Amino acid sequence: MKRRIPWFQVGLRGFWYLTLLFLYVPLVYVVLYSFNAANSYARFPGFSLRWYETMLANPYLMGALYNSVVLALTSAVIATAIGAVLGYGMYRYREMKLGWLIWFIYLPIVMPDIVYGISQMTFFVTIHDLTGLLRPSLTTMIIAHVSFQVPFVALLIYSQLVRMDPLLFEATQDLYAAPLQRAWFFVLPAIRASLISGFFLSITLSIDDFVISFFTSGPDSTTLPIFIWSAIKRGVTPEINAISALMIFAVFSAALIIYVFQRVRPSRDPGTA
Amino acid sequence: MSHPVASSSLWGRLLRRWHAWATIGPGVGFIILFLVIPSFMLMAVAFMTQGPYGLAQMPLSLQSFRELAGFGFFGWSPGNLYTLWRSVWQTTIATALVIVISYPIAYYISTRPAHLQPLLLLIVIVPSWTNQVIRAFAWMNILAPGSALTNFAYNLGFLSEYMGLFPSTFAVVLGLVYNFLPFMVLPLYASFQNLDHRLIHAARDLYAPPVKAFFQAVFPQTLPGLMAGTVLVSIPAFGMYVIPDLLGGGRSQMIGNLVARQFAESSNWPLGAAAAMLMIVATLVGLLILRRIGRRAGGGKEVVL
Repeated sequence: MKRRIPWFQVGLRGFWYLTLLFLYVPLVYVVLYSFNAANSYARFPGFSLRWYETMLANPYLMGALYNSVVLALTSAVIATAIGAVLGYGMYRYREMKLGWLIWFIYLPIVMPDIVYGISQMTFFVTIHDLTGLLRPSLTTMIIAHVSFQVPFVALLIYSQLVRMDPLLFEATQDLYAAPLQRAWFFVLPAIRASLISGFFLSITLSIDDFVISFFTSGPDSTTLPIFIWSAIKRGVTPEINAISALMIFAVFSAALIIYVFQRVRPSRDPGTA
Repeated sequence: MSHPVASSSLWGRLLRRWHAWATIGPGVGFIILFLVIPSFMLMAVAFMTQGPYGLAQMPLSLQSFRELAGFGFFGWSPGNLYTLWRSVWQTTIATALVIVISYPIAYYISTRPAHLQPLLLLIVIVPSWTNQVIRAFAWMNILAPGSALTNFAYNLGFLSEYMGLFPSTFAVVLGLVYNFLPFMVLPLYASFQNLDHRLIHAARDLYAPPVKAFFQAVFPQTLPGLMAGTVLVSIPAFGMYVIPDLLGGGRSQMIGNLVARQFAESSNWPLGAAAAMLMIVATLVGLLILRRIGRRAGGGKEVVL
C-alpha cells in the first residue's frame, strides 16, 4: 500500500527553489549593483556602466587584475604538469607500498587555510632572511598556489586512469610502444579530459583563494581578492562591485568548461571505450 | 600491472624504481618542501620568544602558550578561551543548520532524472567557487543598514533603527552556512543515490509515521554521507577567518582571527603559532569525537574516516 503525499513533493520543490534563492541572491545582488547609476545601496535610479569605467581607469585595480591573471595561469600550468605526472605515478605504482604517500597528497586539502598561509609565510620570510631568496612576491604566491592545486589535479588524473581498462596498457607494450610513444599517443589522449578540467579547476582554486594569497603576498603583488579585502577595510567604492561581478563571471565560465569536459563521451575517449 | 619486459632483470627493476620516483617525486617533493617543512617551522616558532618586531627569536620558551592561556602583562584574562569556546559553538550551530538544509536538497537532487543530476549539483556548488571575500562582501551589502532585508527585519521588530544585520554573530553563522552548504549536499547526495527505497516502502507499509520512517529507514542509510559531510563542513568552518572578520563584530571572532591577528596587525608570531597549534589540536579532537559519534550511531561500524 502506497499513500501518495503530493504536498511532500511540492514542499520539496519549493524548498529547492528557496535554497537556490539563498545561494544566488547575494551574487546577483553584487552583479546588479555593479550596474547601479547611483553611488548607493539604498537606491537604484538606473543602469550605468560608470563603475566599470572607473574600474578600468584605476591603475591599482588593473595591476591587481594583472597579478591575479598571471598568478592563476602560471600556477595552473605548473600544477597541472606536476599534478598530472604525480597522478600517473600514483596509478602506475599503486601496488607498491605507497599508502603513506596519500597523507602528503591529502595534507594540502585538509589543512586549515590560515595555518597553511602562516606556515608558508614563516617559511618564506625565514628563507629570505637566511639566503635572500624567495622574497614575498608573486613568485612565493605562485609556489603557494601550486602546492594546494597539485593534489586536486593528481586525484583527478588518478581517478580517470583507474577507471580505464588496465589491459589497454599491456596492449601498448605488446605492440612495442616505446615509453615516450606510449605517453604521447596513449596516456595523454586518455587523460585529456581530466587534464583540461584539472587546469580549470586549478584556476578556480587560485581565484577562490584569499587567505593563503594574503599571507604569502608581498607589497607589490596585490591580487584582486587582496585589493577587494583592503577596499572593504578602507570603505567600499562601487567599483568593487564591478570587479567582483567580473570575477563571478570568470568562475562561472570556468565551471561551465569543467562541466563540459568532465562529461566524457564514451565513444570518443580511449580510456572508457 | 605487469611489465613482462621491464621487470625481468635487475636493470629493469632499477629503471622501474627510477621511473616511480621520477613521476611521484616532483609532486610529493613539492608538497614536502613547501608545506610539510613550513608546518614544522611554524611549530618551532611556537616555542620561541617574541622579538622586538614581533618576529620569533631565541631562546626557546613556553611563554607563547602562557599568553595563549590568558596570562598577560595585566594578569589573567579569559579572552582567548572565550574565543576558542565561541569557535566551537558557532561551528556547531552552523553545521546543524547546514545538515537541516542539505537533507531535503540532496534528496531532491537524487530524485531528479539521472541526466539532470550533475547539472543540479553543479548549480549548488558553483557559488562556493567564487572568492570567499566576494561572498562575504555580498552578504555585507545585503545585511547592511538601509538594505531591503534590514528594513524588513526592522519592520518586524527584530532590529532597532539605523542598525544593520551585520556585524553580528547572526551574520557570521549565516556566512558559514552559505559557504559550506555544498560540502554537505555532495556527500549526502552520494548516500541518497545508493538509497534502498524498498526499506522506505516497507516502513510505510507497516504504517510507520513519516518521522519514524525517516529515522528508521532513511537516516541509517545516509549516515556515511552525513558523517563525511559533517567533517567537511565543521573542520574548515572551525578554522574560518574571513567570514568572522568581515561579517562579525568583536564578539563573534573565532580562533582563526586570533591566529591571523598575531601575524597581521599585533605582530606576535610565537603566540600566533601557538594558537595555530591549539587550532590543529582542537580540530583533531573534533575529528575523534565525530568518529566516536559515527561509530555509535552506525552500530559499531566505521562510518567516518
